[in-house]
Amino acid sequence: MRRIGAVLCALTLAFAVPAAPAGAAAPPVRSTVLRAAMDGSGVDTLNPFLAFFNGALETFGMVYPSLNSLDPSGAPGPYLATKWEPSADRLTWTFTIREGLKWSDGKPITAEDAAWTLNLIMTDAVAGTANGSLVSNFEKVTAEGPATLVIKTKAPQASVPYVSHPMSGIPIVPKHVWEPLAKNLKDAKNDVFPLVGYGPWTLTEYKQEQYAKFTANKEFVLGPPKFDNLVLQSFKSGDAAVAALRSGQIDYKAGVNPTQFKALQADPKIAAVRTVGNGWMGLEINHNARTRSGKKIGTGHPALGDPALRKAIALATDKQTLVTKVIDGVGRLGHGYLPPAWPQWFWTPAQPTPYDPAQANRVLDEAGYTKGADGVRTDPKSGRPLAFRFGIHSDDAADAAISGYVVGWMKEIGIKLTIQSLSMTALNSDLAKGDWDLLMDAWTTGPDPTYLLGIQSCGTLPKDDGTGGNTDSFFCDAAFDELFKKQLTTFDQGERAKVIGEMQEILYAANVNQIYYYADGLDVARKDTVTGLTLGKPDADGVYPSQTAFWSYLNAAPATATTAAKAEGSGSGMTWVAGGIALVVVLGGVLVWRRRAGGADRE
Amino acid sequence: MKRSGLWGIGVLAAFALLALTAPLHIGDDQLDVVRVDGPRLAPPSAAYPLGTDLAGRSILHLVIWGSRESLSIGLIATALTVLLGTAVGLLAGHYQGRIGQALMHVTDWFIALPSLPLAISLSAVLGQGAASITIAIAVTSWTATARLVRAQTLAVEARPFIERARALGAGNRQVMLRHVLPNVMPLVLVSSTLTVASAILSEATLTFLGLGDPTSVTWGSMLQTAFSGGAVTAGAWWYLMPPGLAILLVVLGFTLTGRAVEHLLNPRMVQHA
Repeated sequence: MRRIGAVLCALTLAFAVPAAPAGAAAPPVRSTVLRAAMDGSGVDTLNPFLAFFNGALETFGMVYPSLNSLDPSGAPGPYLATKWEPSADRLTWTFTIREGLKWSDGKPITAEDAAWTLNLIMTDAVAGTANGSLVSNFEKVTAEGPATLVIKTKAPQASVPYVSHPMSGIPIVPKHVWEPLAKNLKDAKNDVFPLVGYGPWTLTEYKQEQYAKFTANKEFVLGPPKFDNLVLQSFKSGDAAVAALRSGQIDYKAGVNPTQFKALQADPKIAAVRTVGNGWMGLEINHNARTRSGKKIGTGHPALGDPALRKAIALATDKQTLVTKVIDGVGRLGHGYLPPAWPQWFWTPAQPTPYDPAQANRVLDEAGYTKGADGVRTDPKSGRPLAFRFGIHSDDAADAAISGYVVGWMKEIGIKLTIQSLSMTALNSDLAKGDWDLLMDAWTTGPDPTYLLGIQSCGTLPKDDGTGGNTDSFFCDAAFDELFKKQLTTFDQGERAKVIGEMQEILYAANVNQIYYYADGLDVARKDTVTGLTLGKPDADGVYPSQTAFWSYLNAAPATATTAAKAEGSGSGMTWVAGGIALVVVLGGVLVWRRRAGGADRE
Repeated sequence: MKRSGLWGIGVLAAFALLALTAPLHIGDDQLDVVRVDGPRLAPPSAAYPLGTDLAGRSILHLVIWGSRESLSIGLIATALTVLLGTAVGLLAGHYQGRIGQALMHVTDWFIALPSLPLAISLSAVLGQGAASITIAIAVTSWTATARLVRAQTLAVEARPFIERARALGAGNRQVMLRHVLPNVMPLVLVSSTLTVASAILSEATLTFLGLGDPTSVTWGSMLQTAFSGGAVTAGAWWYLMPPGLAILLVVLGFTLTGRAVEHLLNPRMVQHA
């Protein structure tokens, strides 16, 4: 038990003095270094065929090329490819590949590299681990000469130019390096530095859970980075990263929480930027989970199949309060299924469901749910009380905060919720089995919404034995599926957006996925060392378009010497307080320890 | 020494009083996020003597309410620890043959296991919440009591009165429960007072690591929400300090009380204190 005490002491100390891990790069004398906090998820593996974590995807986007880039509005732009065109039957795409580019070891980059990478992902189960779903509709990929790549799809697919792009698409790897590794891809660690690749940066050094060092590729085809070097440093806690930013150990951190953001906004040395949210936070309802063949699955409450009940739940939810209280106002109230970061797909309902608990109660009264003596309503059909399980992610602070409000609001309309705080794995496993009633869910998406829409289609329901499912909420609607197929084959963006809008309308009316809010991305940077990280122009509320690390790091430039004054001693009051807590807990721990030692002596 | 013991008892009595009377003046109106309407993360003021948390609740109310769960988990875990530890220790001390050896081997095995990872994995397997944390604490901390009790049992059983009892026909059960247990109890009492202290600290540690029920109010969970919510960056010392101090005071209270009781029961200790 003593050890637990000691660990508490250690933890307290850790947040009292959020020092950076040792070995964080000291900048070379004359070259410029951009120091940023690595994405909180870290790097799971440097093998681009297997990695899932955002920190890894961010790294690949910087050191491996892709067919297309994405311009800040989310439209496909040139990268390796300069031109891409579908054939008349819309089944064949021809990509014109830039000539004269070279991998970092001097070998030329050709269409063959791209064809080999995509074919490997299509044919090899291991290679398809991370990105297999992106190419599942590909029939054949061939290189016709060094400058022409031909992709044949099984069915028309409008999103082919989104398949290979930096960060969330497929990175193209050098064939001559990876061909010998392909047989045993599972064990390929890809840890020979500098990594052979092509991109704005070259990875020269990497220490797991510590840092990644890059040098700039000054001949990068989309414009050279303005810094000479880039260091991504790993932090175990957000407050530690923010403290490092304040003290000048790092220059930039993407993704702070609202409280940190508000605190940093007041700091004159820090530029705090809001960007449009690329994800949503919301509630999902198990409305009688079924398998692909229509068989009932799981232990969901039968009453949740009633649209009136789900509507009442939506009416009784005060989303505006969630925006104000949980994310401190830095986000947008949610309605549609796709986030506002990609304005081309963003949809708002003509008649949004208001917050109206009185109407919610009326709806429930009319539907025959009568209130018992304990204030909980009863389902007239099954005779069961409206008492539901409410699953939340145990590691998510926002989930915990939101659940408190939702439980209170549901109580007002005679619905009893019991919070079940579960790990991500446990929650997902319950979800797949249909063993849930309500749960909190959150998704982010890149500019192509196909995947996010796909997990609401009937095809992703599990088979009768419970396997093979990838559904998000057991949603299955014939009209929605029809539109899903239509948007895939609609090549005109305006037309496609209309179809996708109709799909979101169906989802909104079903009240199965109730979107609460789209939290803004919150990025902070030091004004005295770096400029140009944020692209685009802010809207009327001062919110910038969604950013990606690919462009941010490429466009970042050293700040001019006029603002050279370094931050000193900011947040010192806090250090004292935290230090004080650390001290008292340490003293307590020592006392307990001493008593334990005494006890042992006596024996 | 006696004075510090009184201090300890005083602190504990004050916290017990606060915890027991809390429901009289704190209810859903103060704790339910839907009903409170305080400012978000506001520093101490007249209306909120210890400031507010991220949802606008008074930290003072949260600290008082948190004492209920923190204390009850600490006490229940200690009760379980003492029960388990005493039973194992008594049996191992009394049956010195194979049974005793086997029990001591199990105890050694548990001592060798690092307690924090064990507690973390236990609460992960049992699911989150107060019950699983209580069990996790009990399972990882009974060994000290078991060894203590076994040693004392050995000492007591070597005394002549046990031999006399046996000669008069006392069976194993009679000897253990009537003769050994009463003589072991004072030691168990002392050790349990100290166990409460470390159990409360463990509860705070485990909830701080996110293994508790995130919606319940305990001192550990307050520290956890403050930490994950960015209170350090915001400079919200009023969110971190009160639960930390409360943990310190209660742990100190139990430790001082335990020491004082120890001295009362064992006059020999006065010399080397």
